[in-house]
Amino acid sequence: MNFRHVWIVFKKEVKDIARDRRTLFTNLLIPIVLMPLLFTFLGGGMEKMEEDIENISIALTAESDTAEIRELLEKQVFADFPNIQFKESVENPSEAILQKEVRFVLEVENDFADLLARGEPYTLTIHYDQSDTKAAGSMGILNQAIQSYSRQLVQQRLTDLNIDPQILEPVKVVQVNAAEENKGGNLMLMMMLPLIISILIAVGGIPAATDLVAGEKERATFEPLLTTQAGRLSILIGKYLTVALFSFVSIIAQLTGMTIGGIISPSFFTMADGGGSMSFFIPPGALLISILIIIALGMVFAAIQLAISTFARSFKEAQTYLSFLTFIAMVPGYATMMMQPEDLRPLMFFVPLLNAIASLKMSLGGVINYAYLGIGLATSVVYVILSLMLAAWMFNKEKYLFRN
Amino acid sequence: MKILLETRHLTKHFGEIAAVEGISFSVGRGEVYGLLGENGAGKTTTLRMLATMLQPTSGSATLAGYDLVTQPEQVRSRIGILFGGDSGLYDRLTAAENIAYFGRLNNMEEAQLEERIRELARIFDMEEYIDRRAGKLSKGMKQKVAFARSIVHNPDIMLFDEPTSGLDVGATRNVHEFIMDCREQGKTIVFSSHTMSEVEKLCDRIGIIHKGRLVAQNSVAGLREEFQGKNLEDIFVELAGDER
Ligand SMILES: Nc1ncnc2c1ncn2[C@@H]1O[C@H](COP(=O)(O)OP(=O)(O)OP(=O)(O)O)[C@@H](O)[C@H]1O
Ligand SMILES: [Mg+2]
Repeated sequence: MNFRHVWIVFKKEVKDIARDRRTLFTNLLIPIVLMPLLFTFLGGGMEKMEEDIENISIALTAESDTAEIRELLEKQVFADFPNIQFKESVENPSEAILQKEVRFVLEVENDFADLLARGEPYTLTIHYDQSDTKAAGSMGILNQAIQSYSRQLVQQRLTDLNIDPQILEPVKVVQVNAAEENKGGNLMLMMMLPLIISILIAVGGIPAATDLVAGEKERATFEPLLTTQAGRLSILIGKYLTVALFSFVSIIAQLTGMTIGGIISPSFFTMADGGGSMSFFIPPGALLISILIIIALGMVFAAIQLAISTFARSFKEAQTYLSFLTFIAMVPGYATMMMQPEDLRPLMFFVPLLNAIASLKMSLGGVINYAYLGIGLATSVVYVILSLMLAAWMFNKEKYLFRN
Repeated sequence: MKILLETRHLTKHFGEIAAVEGISFSVGRGEVYGLLGENGAGKTTTLRMLATMLQPTSGSATLAGYDLVTQPEQVRSRIGILFGGDSGLYDRLTAAENIAYFGRLNNMEEAQLEERIRELARIFDMEEYIDRRAGKLSKGMKQKVAFARSIVHNPDIMLFDEPTSGLDVGATRNVHEFIMDCREQGKTIVFSSHTMSEVEKLCDRIGIIHKGRLVAQNSVAGLREEFQGKNLEDIFVELAGDER
């Protein structure tokens, strides 16, 4: 191998591909623009949904619409819920709900006050559309309001009877968070990032990989290239570095897009998180190892993609094979999406691709086992070497190189 | 005449297929040697071996004093190729960048390369569009760029594999002129074709290749004499057409 030739090939290929609008589109523009849009859309949707669930409109049935009942509901039961609005009473509860005039129709026994005074239960009927997601969400708020109202009544009654209300609470539960504040990772990132990165690494190199061997064969530039003084290995390595570079460019573009998206619409990151916290922390050592593993993964993909591009009979065929490879690359990402760091098994750190995903998940999850990360890094390096050997072997195979 | 290219029992098998079988010929400086054969005769395979793209199964060749099998890099420094009728340029690079890429990969220095590109632009009358992207050029312009690229490093030996296939009359004539120019500059040329007339027109000597074997070899006149004044086409049919 001659480094000067490698550099000449690399420089030329980068220049050539950078001038291709199609590549710039897939590698730069889409990630940087699409991610913020996606976040705004998803995050905004989530916010809107929450708001809708909190804003509740309620009507009484015509029979229940008495001053007494209104007073009960508005001033007592739902007094602490300013987002609950009482509308005009309705004749037909089902119709009013299905027509979306109100979300709930309430009915209260007219002699509730007597029953209450006698200490007997009275009935409060809630009409709603169970198939309506928002109504189902709002129902929780109503229940909460009604329960707290009931609890107040119970306490009142017990006090009246001279009984300590604590009698109803034989066990007191205290929750203590064993993890330090902020130590935990971000759930959303832990779920999405390994998958997104593995897909991007696979997709980012495709335009370059197809162009650089299959495309070159098809354009009839390949034979002149092979008759220059540059050896095959130098040519291959120059092309390989180009493909890897473009994979990384698309990941960096993607992460930039995600950061922009996170700034514009932070709710995307917080929506799956109980505490609603956006912050997370990866120890520098784990971060460094993760980055190295991602780089190694990009190099493995670059080598495999070049091998496939060499194997392919035509540009089209290369594209087909490579999109299939992307599909394969998605499988481990999806399969482990719901896994928590503690679900990761040692074996995963040995399997190609899965090792990168597992390491990344572990770092993002914040529960770090450096022995596992070390295995992930070591196996990654082994796969880089193996995949490069595969590409070199393919690139020297006359049978695949000259398929006319 | 100094022999610049000599093949010795050059053989290439692809599994069961004997694509080239023990071909031996030699070409002197400034000589044009034509390999004439039908489809699948083994012309491309022979030229790909000479260009070090394929490893011979057995036999070897000497090009400009270097051995094909043991000194492929030195061989590559002395050869230029033009394979097929397609110009084969990088569309997103300019004409100059296309030429420069091959010059650099042939270890030319930047200053020398710049000078050479200017010279080639003048010779091929490409000055006007030398800095335009190859993808935007006309077919004729692209062809000239491809010619220039093949000789940027000033090789001693030129290998042409059916360089006129699929070309129209004008483009074919350009190729013929280019070959004649190379010859005038004293380059050694191997040229393959399945068209009698162009071989007859361009070549000093002809080898007729059939099913991987060289079945006859002589000058045009020599071949005619050998086959009692028949024209080249008849000779070819007689040698190659036995089982058509
Ligand atoms: N890479 C390869 N693998 C397998 N067989 C091959 C390969 N290249 C050529 N062949 C076979 O070798 C034989 C000679 O092919 P070659 O391309 O050298 O012929 P040719 O004279 O150039 O023909 P054409 O005029 O069609 O270009 C053919 O039978 C062809 O099928
Ligand atoms: Mg051929």
